[in-house]
Amino acid sequence: MKKPLQLTVNGEPKQILVEPYSSLLDMLRDEFRLTGTKKGCDEGDCGACTIFLNGKSVTSCMVLAHSAHDSEVITIEGLGKSDGMHPVQQAFVDYGGLQCGFCIPGLIMSATAFLNEHPDPTEEEVRFGIGGNLCRCTGYNKVVEAVLAAARDMNSKR
Amino acid sequence: MVDFKVLEQNLPRIDARDKVTGRAVYASDVYLPGMLMCKLLPSTHAHARIISIDTSKAEVLQGVRSVITGQDFPDIRFGSGALKDRYIMARDEVFYIGEPVAAVAADDEITAQEAIDLIEIVYEELPAVIDPITALTADAPPVHSDVSDFEGYGFSVGNSNVCTLLDADRGDVDQAFNSADRVFEETYRSQGINQGFLEPMACVTNVEANGRLTVWASTQGPYQIRTQLAGVLDIPLSSIKVIPMELGGGFGAKLRLAFEAFPALLSFKTGRPVKLINSREEVFTLNGPRLPVTNYLKTGVNNDGTIVAREAYSIFDVGAYLGAGPNSGVGHGLGAYNIPNFRLRSFGVYTNKIYVGSYRASGVADMTFAVESHTDSIARQMGIDPWEFRMQNAIKEGDVSVSGARMPKNGLLETLQAIKDNFGLPKKSAEDRGVGIAVCEWRSGSGPSTASISVNEDGTVSLLTGSVDISGSDTSLAAIAAETLGLTLDEVIVAKRDTDLAPFTGPSGGSRIVYSQGTAVHRAAETVRERLYELAAERLGVQPDALSLAGGRIFIEDDPNQGLSFKQLGALSVNSRGGPIIGTSSLSNMPYDPVFSTQAAEVIVDRATGQVKVTRYMQAQDVGVAINPMSVEGQLEGGVVQGIGRALTEDMQLDAETGAVRTSSLSTYLMPLAVDLPEIENVLVKVPSSDGPFGARAVAEPPGFGPPAAIANAIFDAVGVRVRELPLSGERVLSALQGESSEIRWDLDILKKSEGM
Repeated sequence: MKKPLQLTVNGEPKQILVEPYSSLLDMLRDEFRLTGTKKGCDEGDCGACTIFLNGKSVTSCMVLAHSAHDSEVITIEGLGKSDGMHPVQQAFVDYGGLQCGFCIPGLIMSATAFLNEHPDPTEEEVRFGIGGNLCRCTGYNKVVEAVLAAARDMNSKR
Repeated sequence: MVDFKVLEQNLPRIDARDKVTGRAVYASDVYLPGMLMCKLLPSTHAHARIISIDTSKAEVLQGVRSVITGQDFPDIRFGSGALKDRYIMARDEVFYIGEPVAAVAADDEITAQEAIDLIEIVYEELPAVIDPITALTADAPPVHSDVSDFEGYGFSVGNSNVCTLLDADRGDVDQAFNSADRVFEETYRSQGINQGFLEPMACVTNVEANGRLTVWASTQGPYQIRTQLAGVLDIPLSSIKVIPMELGGGFGAKLRLAFEAFPALLSFKTGRPVKLINSREEVFTLNGPRLPVTNYLKTGVNNDGTIVAREAYSIFDVGAYLGAGPNSGVGHGLGAYNIPNFRLRSFGVYTNKIYVGSYRASGVADMTFAVESHTDSIARQMGIDPWEFRMQNAIKEGDVSVSGARMPKNGLLETLQAIKDNFGLPKKSAEDRGVGIAVCEWRSGSGPSTASISVNEDGTVSLLTGSVDISGSDTSLAAIAAETLGLTLDEVIVAKRDTDLAPFTGPSGGSRIVYSQGTAVHRAAETVRERLYELAAERLGVQPDALSLAGGRIFIEDDPNQGLSFKQLGALSVNSRGGPIIGTSSLSNMPYDPVFSTQAAEVIVDRATGQVKVTRYMQAQDVGVAINPMSVEGQLEGGVVQGIGRALTEDMQLDAETGAVRTSSLSTYLMPLAVDLPEIENVLVKVPSSDGPFGARAVAEPPGFGPPAAIANAIFDAVGVRVRELPLSGERVLSALQGESSEIRWDLDILKKSEGM
């Protein structure tokens, strides 16, 4: 039976009735239609559903919606400011760090969370930082280049 | 070098912003009012007769709207490959574990799954055959007892489990082996592979008020879905509209009809939209992967290093149905070499396993692993440098290719040279560290291609093609149009297409978009340019040949101030004598256009565990001209990494008794992660194609072929053992290091008997 839940999603307070078995991912997609967060496996393996829960990156398929009660959720739709994209998003565009794009929202969320804690990473550290996200198209070269470029860009503005 | 204005420059993809902000809409992102969710019931037996299906409990479950079984579909067989050998849903018999037997539409996914669990089926087990070599023996049970009734089945080899036999012959092979100084024989085996696309198969179907069916699909081939769907539902093709949504990876797996027929029939039954999304487990167990391949090679070589003869026998396990053609085995048995005498045979063999599907040039990666490992093995046994041996035997312009066509201008030798110059061979610098190379060959893809370009009133143009964007192909097509018309990339609008709107085209696969579809776009743009010249000439009072085009303007060459901008011409065209300007192009087949790549790997082998780490990887590929270098590199890097996965970790394990897929999750089927990889280095070799747009060749397929052999050859270089079976796992390398033979022996006579030789 659906139960009430309140949380903040991309800065907006939300109140909703959700099934106790629903994952945070399913709630974001099916109830809020925030379809930028992708379901690639529903088993925590691929990273395509990565979001921020209270500032930390999590695979939203592995979190029950109700455990996010009173929490703050940021999805790919809420990452950039309304006047432009987040530097990580811009770098993925500029460096060609995407092909089919299905893994990209999750990769960008993981990369952003990683850069928040490691503002000046080496290439190897970036490869570990996005080590939980599968991408089948790019071979990761340009993804890694984009994350390194985003780090430079963000540091220059600090 | 041509002075390009748009091409040969890094262009951000036109859809990049949508994709990085989460706004790109994939099939699973489609939500319609009243939409039901569909789940499937897979068979639990490798081979069994269906005695009864009881759906009564499922039907009365609250929230269930419809339940269908094979009997609800017309009694019509269809096929994905050359044979019409399957029903869309099992009717009287199941032929593999996972074959869909029933489907449910319910208010939500959980209810649909509950209903699936309530369906009761009584099976009577039939004899099954899992191993393809066993399936070739005389007393093996037939997978299909009525194979001779299959439309497209045009031969008999005395064993009904052989569903295709492809061959190619030239010269006197036996004589050539007899007179050769040395003869080498080896067998290689490669594993089952899942395509690994990140977006699980998904679709939404709806029957519109006018009775037409709309399908929002995740597909590389919207027209192919339309044709096959019309066939299995027995409805007119024109009553179906397929809307290809953003494609979350396909690599061949989404070329054809997949699961769309189930929600489609459920939409007809319920009158409501129905959505189906595969779980990741279903991606692994229900949808055609590549199955293991055995390749036997025999090669005659003279002491001077000249290869004189090749015999190749391939066994392609196709599973229960010929879901994709296994033909690549024949055409690639020679590798990139000029071999005057050959006998090549490729057997497609039915077994009671999940049916085979396409994956990034199906079968060629398997054959390249065999041929390029074998090439290395021969060179080393003869004491010849493997690179020199390849240079010596490389097929050259004017030589006769395997198909009998003369080899056109190509960059094979240049790619070999580029690897030698840039990778620095040989580079064995430390203990247990080695380098290996592999040559990959493919051709630019062909097939029906169409394009339409219209000039807008503001001087921009709209480009319409039926091709689904894969890996940035829309951006490349727009760039070709922009280059031809002297526009910038953002002045070319790429229309979102569906099968009602855009003219028929071949699927987005086989490396055909830039080469074939790009040629159609190029020609359509040339027509538009001619019409613009005519209009400008009329307005400026000169002949068209007095005009020139640059910077979005057509002007008099001798008097550049006299001219008209595209904006002016677009506005003028609307009411011009000839009417609004549109250019179209349509073509069937493009000429044979080879693509070559040479790759090099450096590895370190851990002697204690057998683990192999790739420390460097470089590829040099002849791309002709790089339409969009950033996109070309992306294709090359992604392809190589898929190949590294194939070489080292990916292994779709199938149960030897039941054929069931045992690796059905991303934690058991191991695709490469960023941490597993070195930076992939690329060298773009540019020997322009005679026929591709602006000289461009295909890019996407060859990168994935090379890594298994390049890495196997590097392992040999490092520690002196040759592993002949993929993946090159730590266990296999360790076992070879411990002195166990890695030779694969099997009874070739089975095949020769099958062929009546």
